[in-house]
Amino acid sequence: MISIIHKTVQSNILRKSLLNSYAVNRAFCKNIENSNVEEKSEEDKKISGFAKAFEKFSKPHIEEEISKEPDLPFATLFKNSKFVELGDPEGKIVVGKIFHVVEDDLYIDFGWKFHCVCTRPAKNGQAYVRGTRVKLRIKDLELSSRFLGSAKDLTLLEADCHILGILSSPAIPKTKTPTL
Amino acid sequence: MLLKGQGQGLLRIIANNMTKKNFSSATAPALEIEPKKDVEVPTKISRINPLTHPDYFGVGKMFTVRDLMEARVHFGHKDGSLNDRMKPYLFGSRLNHTIFNLDITAEHLKRALNVTAHTALQGGLILFFCRSSINAHTVEKTAKECGEFAHTRYWRGGTFTNSKIQFKAITRLPDLCIFLNTLNNVMLQHTAVRDAAKMNIPSIGIVDSNCSPDLITYLVPGNDDSPASIELYCSLFKEAILRGKAKRKELLQEIENMEKEQKDS
Repeated sequence: MISIIHKTVQSNILRKSLLNSYAVNRAFCKNIENSNVEEKSEEDKKISGFAKAFEKFSKPHIEEEISKEPDLPFATLFKNSKFVELGDPEGKIVVGKIFHVVEDDLYIDFGWKFHCVCTRPAKNGQAYVRGTRVKLRIKDLELSSRFLGSAKDLTLLEADCHILGILSSPAIPKTKTPTL
Repeated sequence: MLLKGQGQGLLRIIANNMTKKNFSSATAPALEIEPKKDVEVPTKISRINPLTHPDYFGVGKMFTVRDLMEARVHFGHKDGSLNDRMKPYLFGSRLNHTIFNLDITAEHLKRALNVTAHTALQGGLILFFCRSSINAHTVEKTAKECGEFAHTRYWRGGTFTNSKIQFKAITRLPDLCIFLNTLNNVMLQHTAVRDAAKMNIPSIGIVDSNCSPDLITYLVPGNDDSPASIELYCSLFKEAILRGKAKRKELLQEIENMEKEQKDS
């Protein structure tokens, strides 16, 4: 008698716990079959032939329209990026901008992962202020090397460049031509 | 949490979750709204369950792969500092410099932003970490602007694991940890990554090619060194949190209005 009651109680508890877990699963792991989040696109007007050409060439050439390309895959974007265009970075000349100055140390950002730190050149030294655009020759894009005994490289989180000259500086009035 | 009826049941789940608090000694009672059987369920209550929606906060539209590229997210460290477990997330390596596959990164970032927004919706406490001194101020400012918390200084060992003794009281630990930089200033993994995993706190982390992706719940492979990338991540996380909070406020207002209507009727 007692064992039969125990069994029914057990089965009730089991059924309730299953129901609970099912409810929980429904709440958290439900597969959505009809998720209509995207808006319906407008029907495009179909113009062809002369009408299409006339519209295309009579409109002013707007640059914004060119940049509104469909989302390209990363591979395409990367292939056309400046980094790939650079090739072997050693010896290449890039344009950087000084974003921080600490006495004679200039922190220059040239669009890469890291910035580079250069000493203020003797020539035109006072023109190197925050916001100055400079011409740089890259020596190394990341100062990291493997030291004896370690499994991984040790990085300095900096690039190594050499300043070639100023392109534009807030400290020099614009009427003067910059000297390299 | 049992789903009884569709309309009021869904709202009750949301209401229950909103009043739930982790690790606090005094538990707030869950809001139970039982409208009378002869009263119709008002149609203005949103019937969508945020958890079943694929992108409730629209985080997928917050950025594009092109935005990530412009923020220099695809740049990794050199091959010599590569962590082997980061290999699946790389596009490849060009002249010894590792490059992240931003198609993969975009997927991971969407997931992370979704988690952030949902955590904010449920009233969760979010803690930002960044041990990079250049970007510390950006992260602290972001946390302040979205009303959450940041820790960008030296991390004491027992802050999560020994909180009761170190803070001399029962402390509410964060519900989500966001690591803008998983390494500390001596290039070792931040202690909080391991400790968050120990304390069952979900973590989001920006993992660079020299970081270990092991203990992070929702990792985002990408650059963590450039100020441009960190600024992008901060702005995205801030936007996600603010959207979550706004939705929370809206839903709580709806519940309040419903309660008022029942009291009047």
